[in-house]
Amino acid sequence: MDIKNQEKLHTDLLTMNMGPQHPATHGVLRVEIKTDSEIIAEAIPHLGYLHRCKEKHSENLDYRGIIPYTDRMDYLAAMNMEHGYCLAIEKMLGTEVPKRAEYIRVMMAEMQRIASHLMFFGTYAIDLGAFSPFLYAFQDREFILRIFEELSGARLLYNYIWVGGVWNDINDSQLKRIEKFMVELEENVKKYHSLVGENAIFIGRTANVGVLTKDQVYDYGATGPMLRGSGIDWDLRKTRPYSIYEEFDFNTVVGVGAKGTVGDCWDRYYVRVFEIFESIKIVRQCLDGIEEGPIMGKVPKVLKVPKGEIYLRTECPRGELGYHIISDGTKTPYRVKVKSSCFTHVSMLGEMAPGQMIADFVATIGSIDIVLGEVDR
Amino acid sequence: MHSEIVEFLNAEVSGCNAVYNAAEVGDSSITIASTHIKSACIALKNSSKFNMNVLQCITATDYIEEDEIELSYILASFIENTELILKVRVPRGDGVTLSVVDSVCDVWKSANYLERECYDMMGVKFEGHPDHRRILCPDDWQGWPLRKDYVVQEKYLDMTVNPPEKINQADIELFAKMRLDLEDPTLVTGSWKDDHAWIDQDLTAKAAGRLAEFKAAKKAKADAEKAKASSEEKGE
Repeated sequence: MDIKNQEKLHTDLLTMNMGPQHPATHGVLRVEIKTDSEIIAEAIPHLGYLHRCKEKHSENLDYRGIIPYTDRMDYLAAMNMEHGYCLAIEKMLGTEVPKRAEYIRVMMAEMQRIASHLMFFGTYAIDLGAFSPFLYAFQDREFILRIFEELSGARLLYNYIWVGGVWNDINDSQLKRIEKFMVELEENVKKYHSLVGENAIFIGRTANVGVLTKDQVYDYGATGPMLRGSGIDWDLRKTRPYSIYEEFDFNTVVGVGAKGTVGDCWDRYYVRVFEIFESIKIVRQCLDGIEEGPIMGKVPKVLKVPKGEIYLRTECPRGELGYHIISDGTKTPYRVKVKSSCFTHVSMLGEMAPGQMIADFVATIGSIDIVLGEVDR
Repeated sequence: MHSEIVEFLNAEVSGCNAVYNAAEVGDSSITIASTHIKSACIALKNSSKFNMNVLQCITATDYIEEDEIELSYILASFIENTELILKVRVPRGDGVTLSVVDSVCDVWKSANYLERECYDMMGVKFEGHPDHRRILCPDDWQGWPLRKDYVVQEKYLDMTVNPPEKINQADIELFAKMRLDLEDPTLVTGSWKDDHAWIDQDLTAKAAGRLAEFKAAKKAKADAEKAKASSEEKGE
């Protein structure tokens, strides 16, 4: 077709909504994208579809009653959310947690991290068009959920870690099964990584896509695998050890740009998958070090946290989680602010998207590993 | 560390009136004048001694008795491995005229979303913000949800969001009726047949036994009723 006067032809960017029910958004995130054919010119995330006013609810509950609500924020890493909250309250109260409870807590937190990273592994492969890794990952995740179910009675939202200790004791048969499973898991994850991570199509889809430089991640306040993927050696479990993490021997996994540039999607994938091996190391050391004893410290029946405030951050699978708790000396907190890592990560989408193809943008969203429950709270 | 920062801020940013709030429990903080927040943040970020290169979060707290809103900027240094709570206080306003604070979006880009959340939840305006909208609530939502005197609006568009009766009575009645109608839920769903043998080896056997019990009980009841009916007939 011959078009005369092409300069008079009207062209414009096409505005489209990606989400809120898009399978690649891992929940209910809506991204308004403006595209020039397949190239994205601008992306504006719209949040709030899962806003459940958790911070407002917390102002009307007693300190113990908030723990189940923290579960429901990041529902894929509920143990880590509880752990951070309980640590903050215990620091304010000055409670001493028994050694056995500390070991159980760390073991649960690390197993939850493995489960969360397996979930990332499966869903990321689905985002990029491979279905079977999802099934592999869920097989292994199932074992962890069953152990959690035996301990707490729930598969997803546990309310297991309490202020002062843990709710239920772990028995020898469970410890033995965990030990046996860790051997299996290590082999399995190696196999999965060679299947997916070293796959030429996967590398082609993720290497050199969604690159984040060091300055960018600091500027946006990114944490966790996003930070380590960009080549920064920072892990709160190492740099500001909380709980009993200083006793354990493990490494921080840092992206080196093995398949492309430092800070691309493949590096973030690499950091998450290889963190599974480090978590396995920690779980094994827990199994060796765990000793008999009580599982609950001395905590008053009615928790009255002294007047003051605390900001405590812990390392969650998705990044740093911070609780800013302001107390006025009564049974209920005056203000609970949750610093969610995903919230800051979502703000980076607007920076990463321009110039990407739409399919690459899907890969970028997947590599952030967002949980919208934590973003909107 | 805090007293050093107070000295540094008073020397570097004139008129910021930095005050050190030492805490017996929990974390200490530094309060400065709200008009100097941006210059204080720039000074802390660029100083080679403190290197506050990350803004972690902004917490807004409503102190209704003092008629003030407190903004806590939580800064962290990933180089020096430190963190700092920097506070400013602004007047609360009546909910219509809002207090204004300088935006720190030019200093850290992470401030963009965090300030939007503060505006959305607490009603504090940030001057110089590139995209000043609500973030979690819809754009046409009324009121500032995390203020202590907040009351939910009754209707949003055509939806009732704050009904006078908080509990839906129809649901309760439906469940009560279901419990009366269906005495034995296992007969309806079939989901009781659990193949998770790893929990309890005898579970399936127990469940099967339970079903037999239920059936026997039901049969006995029916028989009794039949017998009663027939005896009544005989009586007549």
